[in-house]
Amino acid sequence: MTDPAVRVVGVSKKFTMHTEKRNSLKERLVRGRARTDGDFWALTDVSFDVPRGTTFGLIGNNGSGKSTMLKLLAGVHRPTSGSVIANGRVSALLELGAGFHGELTGRENVHLNGSILGLSKRQIEQSMEKIIDFADIGEFIDAPVKVYSSGMYVRLGFSIAVTVDPEILIVDEIIAVGDEEFQRKCFDYMFELRKRGTSIVMVTHSMALVESMCDQAAWLENGQLKAMGDSRDVVRRYLDNVNDREVAAAPEPAVEIPEVAEVSEHPRLGSGEVRIVGLEYLSDTGSPAPVLLCGDSATFRIRYSATEPLRDVVFGLGFLHETGVTVAGPNSESGTAPVPVLASEGFIDFHVPRLTLQPGNYEVSVAAVNHGHTFDHVDRGYKLRVRGAEGSEPGLTRMFGEWTGGTSPRVLVGDEVLNA
Amino acid sequence: MTTTPTTMTVRERGNMWSYRSLIWNFAQRDLKARFKGTALGWLWSLVVPIATLVIYSVVFSTIMRMKPPDFGNGATGNVAVWLWAGLTAWSMCANSLNSSIGALLGAGPLLKKIYFPPYAPVLGSVIALLIQSMIELGIYLVVLTAFGNVSWTWLLVPFWLVIFAVFLSSISMALAVLNVHFRDLAHIIGVAIQLLFYCSPIIYPMTLIAGKSKMGIPADKLISANPLTQFIVIFRDLTYGLTPGSPLAWLYITGWTLAVAWVARRVYRARALDLSEEL
Repeated sequence: MTDPAVRVVGVSKKFTMHTEKRNSLKERLVRGRARTDGDFWALTDVSFDVPRGTTFGLIGNNGSGKSTMLKLLAGVHRPTSGSVIANGRVSALLELGAGFHGELTGRENVHLNGSILGLSKRQIEQSMEKIIDFADIGEFIDAPVKVYSSGMYVRLGFSIAVTVDPEILIVDEIIAVGDEEFQRKCFDYMFELRKRGTSIVMVTHSMALVESMCDQAAWLENGQLKAMGDSRDVVRRYLDNVNDREVAAAPEPAVEIPEVAEVSEHPRLGSGEVRIVGLEYLSDTGSPAPVLLCGDSATFRIRYSATEPLRDVVFGLGFLHETGVTVAGPNSESGTAPVPVLASEGFIDFHVPRLTLQPGNYEVSVAAVNHGHTFDHVDRGYKLRVRGAEGSEPGLTRMFGEWTGGTSPRVLVGDEVLNA
Repeated sequence: MTTTPTTMTVRERGNMWSYRSLIWNFAQRDLKARFKGTALGWLWSLVVPIATLVIYSVVFSTIMRMKPPDFGNGATGNVAVWLWAGLTAWSMCANSLNSSIGALLGAGPLLKKIYFPPYAPVLGSVIALLIQSMIELGIYLVVLTAFGNVSWTWLLVPFWLVIFAVFLSSISMALAVLNVHFRDLAHIIGVAIQLLFYCSPIIYPMTLIAGKSKMGIPADKLISANPLTQFIVIFRDLTYGLTPGSPLAWLYITGWTLAVAWVARRVYRARALDLSEEL
């Protein structure tokens, strides 16, 4: 009962690297054995269990060993050490339409694939209608698959893999293929399989998908298991790590003085008594950060230089999402007391206790105005990257709030009121 | 009664028997792919052997004036029928080696994405060829019946066929696996098969070379040692000569088959299980 569907115990996988392949007898005889350029460990000592009936996500950067892991789970490769144990029929979808033979018709390929999955001829015949129906390829089922469009190929592949009623389904990046309609169909079907108790192991780069579909997740990095457990936790830790790395990779402060080219692209307006010379992003610790985190406090520091003291200057910020939508445009007029601008250099801070911008890339405009008069306006002069510590939600801004629940008293409606 | 859950590693899903439908599917795939898009379809599998037979018959009966041994029922022998016996057995061997050597390379795209035992496409390919050969064999037996050359020894043909099939699939298996590692093996085998043709008593009877030797090498002994020779001799004895064949020859082919099967198993164990990385 508590037996896991898949048990991975201390699995390591080594690939031997060859600079040149010597796979002919002639070369072997003439030049001896191929030199090996050392070994590459795609996976080192990875262990995890996939509990029965759950959906399990594998996440990690490119080259972290996710796909190798899937191939081991599907049995395509053998682990160098350790073991992969599966309780039930495994259906793998490593690449959609994987096991097709171009000369054979769709129907014949269904038979071939079905028998690879270990189904009897009768079982295949029984599923045939369902497969054709799900793939929605009509009479093309009797045409050789080499004439299929890529969409039909993909649909037939997915149909076979899921309609054979697998006990364990292994899926690689399925969201990347198929049109919107088919993708939805796939998700619906996977959801359905999940409800029926099929254990699913999937690799995806979509953290939102992992959070929504997976109960548990494992995070692989350089072939090692970094974290494993509740999918939300693992995703959070993974994203934290990615964010940290991005920060480390871009250490220069965010002060970006717009260059001439940019200024000419977006004309710089204003009379020039006050000039914006920079915009800094300060994270919740108060130190300059190249990336801000959604949900954390943040400070936008506008640096200016003025040629004369001015009393009434209103500073404004404009946040444009990369899709071109203006998300917010706070300005200092709505704030407390107007900030006096002294001659020479100075700065003004705009502090938000909780950044509500969703993770994404933004452009920031900065302006200094006074009653319709523009001193300076840097149109879309600064780039802002917002990253999330959690997975993304739909929309451009995040509404922070609490969800609570309770039982509501019965409310009488319509006829019930009359009858009461 | 306690039922233990079927815990196994992903690859140990079953034995050869449980994969029979897959093997059969590969065989069907081979047969269909071979004749698809050809006007004559299945007839093609007969055109080549019949053409070969006609050529040899003309050459050996009119030019070389070969006198074939008499039929088992005492009637005067017929060159074409006698040749057909050897050629049938020969083409089973040559065709199955030629086509199954590439079976694993052909199944490569599949093997890289989904697991199934690598023996399945190889066995499928051998089975497809044996089925094709059954047509040749059938015609041969019909012709013999027309000559009235029938006897109980025909009942031994299935036994011979089983031993031959195991022999051929073992060699095919080993070669197909090695061909993935050494891609030029197919060319070498192509030459070897030609050589084998002349080293087997197909177009000459064993009596022709009895006692002959060259440079101290006894040609007849060498050719008798060739297991294929014994397969052909037994087959001809059973069907044409209507004798059950010498027990020693039966023992010889069985011994060879077991040896070859053992070698194939060794090769398979050592080389076939990580093929997905080599393809």
